[in-house]
Amino acid sequence: MNLIWVPLLPLLGTLVPLLTERGGRTLCAWATALLPALSLMIILSHAPSVLSGATLKSALPWIPALDLELAFRLDGLGLLFSLLILGIGLLVILYARYYLSPKDSMGRFYCYLILFMTAMLGIVLSNNLIQLWVFWELTSISSFLLISFWSDKREARRGARMALTVTGAGGMALLAGILLIGNVVGSYSLDQVLASTIQIRESGYYPAILVLMLLGAFTKSAQFPFHFWLPHAMAAPTPVSAYLHSATMVKAGIFLLARFYPVLSGTDMWFLIVSLTGLTTLLLGAYFALFKHDLKGLLAYSTISHLGLITLLLGMDTKLAAVAAVFHIINHATFKASLFMAAGIIDHESGSRDMRKLNGLWKYMPYTATLAMVAASSMAGVPLLNGFLSKEMFFSETLHQSTLGSLSWIVPVLATCGGVFSVAYSLRFIHDVFFNGEPIDLPRTPHEPPRYMKLPVEILVALCLLVGILPGYVIGDLLNSASSAVLQGLVPSYSLAIWHGLNLPLAMSTVALIGGLLIYYNRRVLFQFQAQFPEKDAKEVFESLMQSIIAGCRWLNERLENGSLQRYLMLMLLLTIALTAAPMMSLNQTTGSRPQLPADGVTITGAALLILGALATVIWHRKRMIALLTLSIVGLIVSVTFARFSAPDLALTQLSVEVVTIILLMLALFFLPQRTPKESSPHQMMRDLALSAAVGGVVGTLCYALMTRPFHSISEFFLANSKTGGGGTNVVNVILVDFRGFDTLGEITVLGIAALGIFKLINRMRLFMPAGDERGRPWSDDRYPMILAVVSQLLLPLALLVSVYIFLRGHNMPGGGFIAGLITSVAIIQQYVAHGVDFIKDRLKLNYQWLIGSGLLIAMMTGLGSWVAGRPFLTSWFDHFHLPLIGDFELASAMLFDLGVYLTVIGATLLILANLGKLTTAERPVLTKEEL
Amino acid sequence: MSITVEIIICAFLLMGGLFVLLGSFGLLRLPDFYTRLHAPTKATTLGLAGLLIGSMIYFFVAEQRLVVHELLITLFLLITAPVSAHMMAKSALHHRVKMVKHTQGQQLANTARKRQPPPSDGA
Repeated sequence: MNLIWVPLLPLLGTLVPLLTERGGRTLCAWATALLPALSLMIILSHAPSVLSGATLKSALPWIPALDLELAFRLDGLGLLFSLLILGIGLLVILYARYYLSPKDSMGRFYCYLILFMTAMLGIVLSNNLIQLWVFWELTSISSFLLISFWSDKREARRGARMALTVTGAGGMALLAGILLIGNVVGSYSLDQVLASTIQIRESGYYPAILVLMLLGAFTKSAQFPFHFWLPHAMAAPTPVSAYLHSATMVKAGIFLLARFYPVLSGTDMWFLIVSLTGLTTLLLGAYFALFKHDLKGLLAYSTISHLGLITLLLGMDTKLAAVAAVFHIINHATFKASLFMAAGIIDHESGSRDMRKLNGLWKYMPYTATLAMVAASSMAGVPLLNGFLSKEMFFSETLHQSTLGSLSWIVPVLATCGGVFSVAYSLRFIHDVFFNGEPIDLPRTPHEPPRYMKLPVEILVALCLLVGILPGYVIGDLLNSASSAVLQGLVPSYSLAIWHGLNLPLAMSTVALIGGLLIYYNRRVLFQFQAQFPEKDAKEVFESLMQSIIAGCRWLNERLENGSLQRYLMLMLLLTIALTAAPMMSLNQTTGSRPQLPADGVTITGAALLILGALATVIWHRKRMIALLTLSIVGLIVSVTFARFSAPDLALTQLSVEVVTIILLMLALFFLPQRTPKESSPHQMMRDLALSAAVGGVVGTLCYALMTRPFHSISEFFLANSKTGGGGTNVVNVILVDFRGFDTLGEITVLGIAALGIFKLINRMRLFMPAGDERGRPWSDDRYPMILAVVSQLLLPLALLVSVYIFLRGHNMPGGGFIAGLITSVAIIQQYVAHGVDFIKDRLKLNYQWLIGSGLLIAMMTGLGSWVAGRPFLTSWFDHFHLPLIGDFELASAMLFDLGVYLTVIGATLLILANLGKLTTAERPVLTKEEL
Repeated sequence: MSITVEIIICAFLLMGGLFVLLGSFGLLRLPDFYTRLHAPTKATTLGLAGLLIGSMIYFFVAEQRLVVHELLITLFLLITAPVSAHMMAKSALHHRVKMVKHTQGQQLANTARKRQPPPSDGA
């Protein structure tokens, strides 16, 4: 089957747990596991050909215009990681079935988990770098959701935020690196990038590319100095830790290093940065793991340490080191996942993860203890287990590298030190938890977990043993194939035997084992020594860093946005002047060549009224009611002006908008003081006057200069094509519903969102309601005068008739959905004014949110409808029909679209106005008991 | 278009214009709010109706089609203008806006404000 199904099936699978959640926990788990299991089968069916050296590819066009495609490839490395992701993922699904308590939402958990699985599969199978990055970010987001699964816990939220911040920032660096690579290579296809090694290494961008890519990988893989987020991510439920922090998420960074190994490695810069980072992380993690009292904390630091080990291997200049790295990826995933699961079982059955309390559990859960001890021994590198083999290879490679020149001897020494601590903390995990006396006041009496909770651990531990004893048979082919994918060439010969004879690596292993024993035996001394250092909590450091960044942003923001509208306006106007004044000054002649129209008396009167209205608004701006009335003069004159210059559509729209606006403002004014205090100092007034005069001068000149010049617009095109292309003679309407239909769709969507936002804003708002006007005269007690009420009701059908008329003729004559919607709104608002909310509520059962939604849906569906006919989105259709009695008429899909506009406009307008009006009535929200 | 029709249209237009002018003049000249209310609501509405009917006849004769917009507009104005006037008078009463001496029906202002029926003549 096609490769694309491998990530696609789990993606579909994200819905499965949500749908089956009600069917019980077991059903939910099985149903969830189904689709990933299918993916695993697809991968396994491809495995033989991949193991024999083939690379499978498949691609689907995604955004062809941007040269992007959904491209997948399966090579050895991808196969290895897919098997880890799907295999361990399935085990984790089974494990989580028993781990989660009935209180936790299982559907949500599995949904996030499968989403994460999809994202990981996407990363390891991507054949396009941009696509890889998208999946990379998806892992950050889904891991955020998983870590914060118990979102009521503060440390879970903090840990999740920290992980998201660090890995998200790394993702940004990765994107920058990918873009640079794309720039150098000229393609984002992984095939081409892998084939352009020399081109990349020799380009001047190489250092920047390397640093950015490494930042991405190191943040994800918790390498020093970005390691601090991993221990805090342990606030996640343990199945998440077992999955994300052993086998997948943190390995994504390692995968990135391995994936780009052929391209980026081979330079001194790579070896130096990668190996030193790996070495530091290895030592740091191993050392601190010993001092963690929390079981999962110990495992987290040991994971950091092992990730450092793999990074170090990738940073060494021998080919065998890369093979060892791949081998350790497998081994670490198996033993660490099983250890996390064992820790989860212990936590689940005893109620604590504190190793100072957990002692002597051998008596209570011998079976689990055995499993955990085998896995921990593998972590320590005890012979006959898989950890021993890869550690042996690691020690051997440290002896063969020359990364640090003549100082290279330091690497094997430090590696052995790391091994010593690794043995010590593994011992602590075994001895402290399962032996070492009796448990100290545990919340629960520990006992063995349910049968199937142990199964995943058993499988993983069995794998540890099998690989450890029969490495060649079990893992040889896979390792070979994955290593050749990393090296992009021949794999050097190596032997996967347990016994290589008495040699230096074996001696190092022995030193590590004995040294670890000694250190653990003398641990009290070491603990006391460590206690002298002040405990530094990464959480606090991170939090204070975040706080200072936020404070800095806030400071900057407050300089720009201090809440003063005058200031915003001033800044914007200043910018306008700055941008327009210079070109205006270079314009030598203001008056253009176009002949001017004669000014007649009516026009001059209109202009004079406009000016007077504007002036009056400014003069009386502190008396809000009067200012509103004078402002409406301006609006009315503007609409008359539209009518005069043959824009009847605009005139109608302006008129109805004016009415709605005035009602809205009157309502808003009701809650505001009738007079505003003097807010501007004389100084500010002078400034504002000067500024507005300057802007008025510049804009006026600009308009004059523009209008006196002949100019060519696209109006001619619209006029010529409106009837033939859009089927309507009203060009304005055809532009709205056809030529620029997509714009209109966007606009009504914004309108709907804005209305919902305002609704949300005022829904629970308790505003001061004045009992009288500014002179203290009380409101009339006659709220709904009878004559007004009766006549308004009479007018409703008339107004609706007009709106339907305007709507229907809109395509060919002035009108259309927008104007008709406004007229209908005004008619209904009139009823609200005349009758009050209570009266309307019983009679008009319109849900305005639904009205907005259905309007948008209709408009959208009309657009999609043209797909059915095989045409581009929103292609309009029209035809003429004949009906007896009525005569010829035209049907156009644009009309349906206009209906959507109509409904949205009504819904949006009424949602705002009716709810604002409601605040003045008995329906206004009151304080509930809790809020008091 | 025959001269008769033209004369009829002109008569309507002139009459309408006259009433609108009278209404505006009244708005300017009448002494208090209550009396001033009459001018724009009564005279101007009537004048507008005259203009609209003139327009209707013109389009009916000149374009040979029945035009009912004007009728609807007239109807709309005739319904709304009195209600607006009523509402304005009500709020003026509520706010106890001053009246000049000659304004008629002053004695009813209080009962109207309290929304009580006017006292019958006999009482």
